[in-house]
Amino acid sequence: MKSIYLYMAASFILVLSFAQCKKESSGLPEMVDFNHHIRPILTQNCYTCHGPDSSSRKANLRLDIREGATMKLASGNRAIVPGHPRRSSILQRITSDDQMLIMPPPESKKQLTPYQIELITKWIDQGAEWKKHWALVPPTLREGQESTIDDFIEASLKLQKLHQNDKADHHTLIRRISYVLTGLPPSLSELEKFEQAALNEIIDYYLSSPHFGEHWARHWMDLVRYAETMGHEFDYEIGGAWRYRDYLIRAFNQDLPYSQLVKEHLAGDVITAPRLHPSEKFNESIIGTAYVFLGEGKHSPVDIKQEEADRMDNIIDVTSKTFQGLTVSCARCHDHKFDPIPTTDYYAMYGMFESARASPVGFDRVDEIKSITPEIEQINHKLKDEILKFVEKYSPQDQWVSSNVLGDFRDSDFDGWIPSGFAFGEKPMFGKFASSRYFSSGVKGVLRSPNFIIQDSFIYAYATGLKSSIRIIVDNFQLIQDPLYGSLSKTLNDESWKLYQMDVSNLIGHKAYVEILPGTYERHAYNIDSTSYIEVQSVFSTNNRIESPEEYKNSIVLDAQAITLLEKKAALCDKINEPSFIMGLQVGEKIFSPIFIRGSHKQLSVEKVPHEFHSAIDLNNFETENYSNSRLAWVEAVLHPDNPLTSRVMVNRIWHHIFGRGIVSTVDNFGLQGSLPSHPELLDYLAIKFVEEGWSIKKMIRQILRSEVFQLSTKVTEHNANIDPENIYLASFPLRRLEAESIRDALLASSGELDRQLYGPSIPVHVTEFMNGRGRPESGPLNGKGRRSIYVSIKRNFLSPMMLTFDMPIPFSTFGKRNTTNVPAQSLIMMNDPFVHEQATKWAEKLVARTDLTINDKIELVYLNAYSRVPSQNEIEEATVILNEYADERSVTKWKNYCHIIFNTKEFIHLQ
Amino acid sequence: MKQECRKMNRREMLTLSRNGFGAIAVMGLFGSCAKNLERYAANAPISIIGQQPHYLPKAKSVIFLYMDGGVSQVDSFDPKPRLIAENGENPYQKFKVDDTQFGNVGKILKSPWDFKQYGKSGIWVSDLFPKIAECVDDIAVIRSMVSNFPEHTNANYFLHTGSGIQGRPSMGAWINYGLGTMNDNLPGYVVLDGGLTPPGGLDNFKNGFLPASFQASILKPKKVPVPNIIPHESTSQEQIRKLQHVERMDQSLLGKVVQSDQISAAIDNYELAFKMQSSIPELSDLSGESEAIKKLYGLDSEDKHCRVYGTQCLMARRLVERGVRFVELTCPNTGFDRWDQHSNLKKGHEANAHAVDQPIAALLKDLKSRGMLEDTLVVFAGEFGRTPFAQGKDGRDHNPSAFSIWLAGAGIKGGTVYGTTDEYGYRVIDKPTTIHDLHATMLHLLGVDHIRQTYHFGGRDIRLTDVHGHLIKGILS
Repeated sequence: MKSIYLYMAASFILVLSFAQCKKESSGLPEMVDFNHHIRPILTQNCYTCHGPDSSSRKANLRLDIREGATMKLASGNRAIVPGHPRRSSILQRITSDDQMLIMPPPESKKQLTPYQIELITKWIDQGAEWKKHWALVPPTLREGQESTIDDFIEASLKLQKLHQNDKADHHTLIRRISYVLTGLPPSLSELEKFEQAALNEIIDYYLSSPHFGEHWARHWMDLVRYAETMGHEFDYEIGGAWRYRDYLIRAFNQDLPYSQLVKEHLAGDVITAPRLHPSEKFNESIIGTAYVFLGEGKHSPVDIKQEEADRMDNIIDVTSKTFQGLTVSCARCHDHKFDPIPTTDYYAMYGMFESARASPVGFDRVDEIKSITPEIEQINHKLKDEILKFVEKYSPQDQWVSSNVLGDFRDSDFDGWIPSGFAFGEKPMFGKFASSRYFSSGVKGVLRSPNFIIQDSFIYAYATGLKSSIRIIVDNFQLIQDPLYGSLSKTLNDESWKLYQMDVSNLIGHKAYVEILPGTYERHAYNIDSTSYIEVQSVFSTNNRIESPEEYKNSIVLDAQAITLLEKKAALCDKINEPSFIMGLQVGEKIFSPIFIRGSHKQLSVEKVPHEFHSAIDLNNFETENYSNSRLAWVEAVLHPDNPLTSRVMVNRIWHHIFGRGIVSTVDNFGLQGSLPSHPELLDYLAIKFVEEGWSIKKMIRQILRSEVFQLSTKVTEHNANIDPENIYLASFPLRRLEAESIRDALLASSGELDRQLYGPSIPVHVTEFMNGRGRPESGPLNGKGRRSIYVSIKRNFLSPMMLTFDMPIPFSTFGKRNTTNVPAQSLIMMNDPFVHEQATKWAEKLVARTDLTINDKIELVYLNAYSRVPSQNEIEEATVILNEYADERSVTKWKNYCHIIFNTKEFIHLQ
Repeated sequence: MKQECRKMNRREMLTLSRNGFGAIAVMGLFGSCAKNLERYAANAPISIIGQQPHYLPKAKSVIFLYMDGGVSQVDSFDPKPRLIAENGENPYQKFKVDDTQFGNVGKILKSPWDFKQYGKSGIWVSDLFPKIAECVDDIAVIRSMVSNFPEHTNANYFLHTGSGIQGRPSMGAWINYGLGTMNDNLPGYVVLDGGLTPPGGLDNFKNGFLPASFQASILKPKKVPVPNIIPHESTSQEQIRKLQHVERMDQSLLGKVVQSDQISAAIDNYELAFKMQSSIPELSDLSGESEAIKKLYGLDSEDKHCRVYGTQCLMARRLVERGVRFVELTCPNTGFDRWDQHSNLKKGHEANAHAVDQPIAALLKDLKSRGMLEDTLVVFAGEFGRTPFAQGKDGRDHNPSAFSIWLAGAGIKGGTVYGTTDEYGYRVIDKPTTIHDLHATMLHLLGVDHIRQTYHFGGRDIRLTDVHGHLIKGILS
């Protein structure tokens, strides 16, 4: 109870002190607050040497915790003696005239202001109370606290002496709601339908529009650095990436609870009851894990372990920022300089992801597979004698297998190997060999060995198969190719049993596992067709070179009856087998990572770090060991009722997308270096509400859109601008430029060229003569087939210039908050880009074809399409003047020029 | 000296710089960039969005001659007689050989080119670069460069952004972020694209987490150097009229929302965009250059690639003349896969050198004769060097452990050789110099302290030089 009280006080002071920001220069706050006043000073000026990171700590003094700051130092002094500024040596040091003594030291180029020194003095005088960082204290509600969003907003406006704006007019609100929820302007029929409608009705309409999911999926894609290729030198494709995009659209459209979204991203492969697609019946949950592999990929790194470390770093960065708003990757080389995140937190996550394995994951129809299993078993039984005839004749010779055996499948189990997908069934065929044809050829699945350390120069597999692969995955490295790593994989396309050799002599001492799978990799994109299969009897390593015996050639010739049976299996599997797949996560062997000392994988700590959740977050009754899989444990920790970050971070993201600015403006960083919340109590209120309402994103959005503050006009008064120039307190709705995707979509929508089809493979990006480099793809159409921007392919090395120019982030890490820039290249696009001109022409053609309309009608139509409002009398006259300038031109040219002018107006690309 | 961000009221600045299309039409500025030139000659550089330099700058602009793929140091600026003596011997018996990118380690390989001494300074230069050699007294050669990455993409990111990871801001973006532009008709960071986009793609030239306005504009050395620069309207008057309508409608929007920096700034952007439609084509229009100058740069060369690079060099001078802060030149495609000669060293290096040697020498001489070399820093560098032993028979593999670069111009002590490699040119034995050191020194010459120039992103203050970098004092005048 006491801590709740303290927190109430803290957040109250936060509100107060924001109010006092302006006046601070003239006087000190009544009560100096550690979180608001002192910590920012210490973080900026002192923590680099006197913070949580022990490796760079000077004079054994740390100021981030009370015990450190108040203990007796080697000099005999105490930096801080609470209640006694004069006895606190820190004050002598920060006020000293002596260049040798002054803190911060001159070489740091930092200097405290007199005001900051006064604040510190007063804080010590008042007892020097340390508080936990606000974001690490779970959200709390004060009893009898305001109960609507507007109460909170009005309370802070009142404190600031700001005057709330009037409500925006009806058309502006329709346009605003439509853009915020769907990223599209309202259509003409929608405008007509909503002419008299209540706002709640309009909000609900757009919330249930299928375009809602497209727009909000795109927001999420910024967090997970979504791209469809790997960048680097040749920009290889990331197989199935767009299916993850479609998964997101479906998830947002059906209002998948956020808790479930988190679960599916981190552990979609291991949750006990995966969600099935409602009509297609494939496993949806597992698709969430694809986010892990949307990063860059490099072929032929000289240092393969370094490459693994860099990829892991990116995954940790994206995961910790996206779900927790923490910058854990700052703790890669040393304890975090500012936040209570030790390197052990980083390497706990490292081990967690190192334990998972990348895998092509099929969209198989789970239930149907189960339903055909008995029949398949029967057919397999009939096939047994015919097949074993060959297998027994051509079995591995004992002297091979007496080498270092990595897997021997001539038994009743997979010898510790882990099957995933359905291809291999649950045990070796007839107790004699592992077969991906348990069901039939073409069924997806992978059989993987446990991890081992490479000891011998060669790894051999005794196998047969068509269009299938054996791969040695060293240090989780996937992009196997020449130069350097080509010998780590073999493609099988031979129905006789033979030995396949993989040369690993350059990688002795590295961690590895073997995977065998039907299907092949071409330019690192996985492919499988209905004839692909692989069968393996054993895998072993040795330093000797071994050849397949000559007489094994053409070792298998099945009789007609067996072939018929195989065909029957194939026919049965036809329905269950979806050709689609994504690159997703599969469970591997649990690995605890050592700490890389100063970030170097060549200097490892002796102890290994268990997969514990972030140490700074206290969770009651939570033990990682209670979970079979560490990623599942991580999910539970993220969703734990005591977790102070998850709900706050997500509602803040939602707020950010609605108002263009988060309550915490650093949406990806809730740490000490992040900004303080402008409305801390509101943030907590929303966070609590979010969880109470079942983590429903749509309900949260609905509640915010129904508030008065969302409906304010964008007008800025002199009075308000003077007090709150950045409009932090929302006396008005913040005017902002549309996002890149919406600008392009709006061009298509206005011209009537927008194809509203949902989902599907990406439309190739239009490649201009200015987009060059290796891996240059074939160009897509200029207009992207009229599809929404989210469906235009995102190739890392060939990103759409229009999207980039209008601030779509370069997909390298989490980008919860886009830049909004103003560069002449934006104007040049609207002025001269062929796509913009093409759309102006298309629009003009449609207008000219409307012979039923008067000129005034047409002008009105243009205004409704572009601005979602009717023109004023003045505007009609102005438009007529413009059109008359082109009087002697062909009608289409005239209207085209007019439409082009409309595209270039700021009203077109801004949201009011 | 007291350091403060120059604080300019944005509104004031916008008001000051705004003329509007009405004004443009009246003044007839369209198409006449000579006036702009006069203005730049008359006025001291103005900082539009940047901060004031930390100390008095030596350089106003940088021309970065990027040698994509990695020039071989032992074949250009770092002669190694021992390679001649031990040509064909087994390198494993001579020194420890690191893993190489392609693994195909051959024998010790002497340089196919002779080295001679040039100028008063007597600096050794190989026959690959006879014309650059004539300028050695203006050049400081660093023979002791090292990089962290042995393969192209990461090494390129490292050279350009100070980090091997994709997505960090490029040095040109940092410089413009720090100093702002001196020309409001042109972007402050220009890449002159000779035809080869380096491995790693355009991200070598991007703004990363810095605002998008600091990214490079890629210009091709041809008539239409950037996208969307040619108006579709049949006359400029027609376009002006159109933009006047746009502006009028925008102003009435501005009236409705009362105050919006966002919209005012967007309106102003149209003005720069409009001006760029003339300033950029004017830039690439070389008809005003004398025949002697064109000849000097090799625009009459029989070598097509020399003509391309000559055009780039001449455009680079014109850009710097117009106040552009950072100009980078990428290499023309001579058909030998950049300087990356894993085989066929002789032919490949020769073709590449022939394309750039005369234009670069011309650039140095031209800048000098115009007095521009005093405040222009010219940097010649690749992402790493090459091995002193062969790859296969007649190539050289990547070598990040030692390579040579050179600098000339503003603040550089000409005729200097800095740093030393071992007798094979394989590793640095004296004054190892990092990419961070190079960046720190470039920033220093521009008046920027690399330690103080930071940008807050992702939870910390980030620098071009990360937490590294020391001035290369030995090459400063």
